[in-house]
Amino acid sequence: MDLAPNTDQIAYQTATADWCRDNMPLDQARNRPAGLWKQLAEMGWTGMTSPEMGLNHATEALVFAELGRFLAPVGLLSTAVAARWVGGDAKVALAIPGDGKLRLFDAEDTTAALGIWNGKAGLTMVPGTIEPRPGLDLSASLSVIDLDLIPNPLEDPRAVHHLQLLAAAYAVGCADAARDMAASYAKIREQFERPIGWFQAIKHICADTAVRCAVARSQLYYAACALDAGDAEAAFHIAAAKRLADQAALENARANIQVHGGIGMTDDATPHLCLKRAHLLSFIAPVTTADLLKG
Amino acid sequence: MDISFSAQETRFREECRDWLHANVPCEKRPLDPTEALPFDKAWQRTLYDAGWAGISWPKEYGGRGLSLIQQIIWLEEYARAGAPWIGANFVGINHGGPTLIMNASEAQKSFHLPRILRAEEIWCQGFSEPGAGSDLAGIKTRGRVEGDELVINGSKIWTSFAHVADWQELVLRTEEGSLRHKGLSWVICDMHAPGITIRPIRLMSGEAELAQVFYDDVRIPLANVVGGLGEGWRVAMSTLSFERGTGFIADQVKHAITVARLIDDASASGAIKNDQIAGELAQLRAEVAALRAMTYRNISEVVRTGQPGPEASVIRLFTSELGQRIDRLAVRLKGQDILDFSYGDRDDTQEYLRHYAATIAGGSAQIQRDIIGERMLGLPKSR
Repeated sequence: MDLAPNTDQIAYQTATADWCRDNMPLDQARNRPAGLWKQLAEMGWTGMTSPEMGLNHATEALVFAELGRFLAPVGLLSTAVAARWVGGDAKVALAIPGDGKLRLFDAEDTTAALGIWNGKAGLTMVPGTIEPRPGLDLSASLSVIDLDLIPNPLEDPRAVHHLQLLAAAYAVGCADAARDMAASYAKIREQFERPIGWFQAIKHICADTAVRCAVARSQLYYAACALDAGDAEAAFHIAAAKRLADQAALENARANIQVHGGIGMTDDATPHLCLKRAHLLSFIAPVTTADLLKG
Repeated sequence: MDISFSAQETRFREECRDWLHANVPCEKRPLDPTEALPFDKAWQRTLYDAGWAGISWPKEYGGRGLSLIQQIIWLEEYARAGAPWIGANFVGINHGGPTLIMNASEAQKSFHLPRILRAEEIWCQGFSEPGAGSDLAGIKTRGRVEGDELVINGSKIWTSFAHVADWQELVLRTEEGSLRHKGLSWVICDMHAPGITIRPIRLMSGEAELAQVFYDDVRIPLANVVGGLGEGWRVAMSTLSFERGTGFIADQVKHAITVARLIDDASASGAIKNDQIAGELAQLRAEVAALRAMTYRNISEVVRTGQPGPEASVIRLFTSELGQRIDRLAVRLKGQDILDFSYGDRDDTQEYLRHYAATIAGGSAQIQRDIIGERMLGLPKSR
């Protein structure tokens, strides 16, 4: 039993975070360069989950949490799941079906989209006529199709768990980003002639962001290992990780805006980017009450 | 990262389970601390004779010297088997003993440690005072050095098992005029010494294991100071860091067992058909799973680096607040039945009333949040 990353895993984490900081900073999330996807593919992140790479889910979770920390494109999630259960490293858009509509994210230059239909993962064709536009999450382009396309189901039921796990990792990273942003601001912003982080009213909001991160990250690690081990309760543990990570991302994003005060509610500042990402993540492979009570 | 246990650890778990299955007493531990004393002593002696006492203590002091992972396995199986709380032995086994191991002289260790393990001496804690709760460094109880003795005057409060204890881990001010963390000493106080008065305190759950202790010219040999005069704060902190380590595993397993029972009960009664109840149960189930994962993660860090990370405070805070959320749902599910509670009952209502202490005792939730904000996030100290 060992739930701390080993030396190799820490190296993956560090390399990912370093690259993201230099090439894909969070504050540029709404304005990603057109060539970013090509760079991500060259760095190997679009194909890292394919079976021949031999990476376990635990290591994937660590890397995706780092990518999530910098609000990396959500299309990496669908691409990674497709790479694992279909093969290849071609860009695959993320599909979120609902209410007779189909929402596609990061669908530029794709022919297929991956999503969850009635609890099963599937792939559907991306029509050539889509016109991507910005949506709530300014880091991802959105195309709304007014009918739900018929998906081609993926055979392996673990594909759903895989998407849940990676989306949970993104949410853990997003929660971390909001925690760190709030704490950094609380150290430098002064009112009443002292940093606002001195006041317990602010300090305790920040402490709660750290608690939510620790809780969600721990369950993410356990869930990833459970999936690797073929554990009988893996589905429950992944659902728990997804639920707690989604909550951490959303609650931390809200806390971060509050700690930032006036500047936190502006379009110029970055806190809203985490909030909007958290909302989007909560609709990717969402967890039901039944998922958490099963087994 | 890996959640599987080694073959050796799995065998150890079976060994724990088999022994507990055969030896956990059928009778319940009495609630009244005086009645519970013979029960606690007999059970501790049974554990000692079978080699399960002080499993984390070094072998030279009568312990088993087992690994951290084995300790966790033992504590998990202990809680799962419904084995009784170690009660009056708690302070000796979990606070006094470990503090002596880390700080005491050879004479102090060889006298007390074996007696603690065999339940031949009972310990209590004397840290908090009426005027020094969250602000522990505001301790006013003083010990004046007179020859080779300390003459002690003052009062301690929230002392568990004071009326049955033989010894007390007592932190007091031994340097006159000293302030805050300086000039304190950690002393082994004889609870049978003349000048000690004990006033029991009954809690709102009906239990009466806490007390206030008064000292009126109590004379204690200077040889009972642990870690040196004036070193009390450092010695006391070594005890508290232990409390924030593996001290909460039993609670965590209990939380998981309670949530599983609430889900079973709500399924049987049909209460789970209410979406809100089902949603809350699902949330709690996810949270108790995460709590175990967080503990495993913290222990893995200790195994790797030799010390618990600052996240030990997160575990402490999350365990206590999660326990309260579980209790609150449990009493909601009971409905009007909670109105029938009377002192001495041992049910969800009693647990609910008792657990108000969880976010107050041993560092309030507010103090824990200060620690998390300051030590984990680097926010400025507000005290």
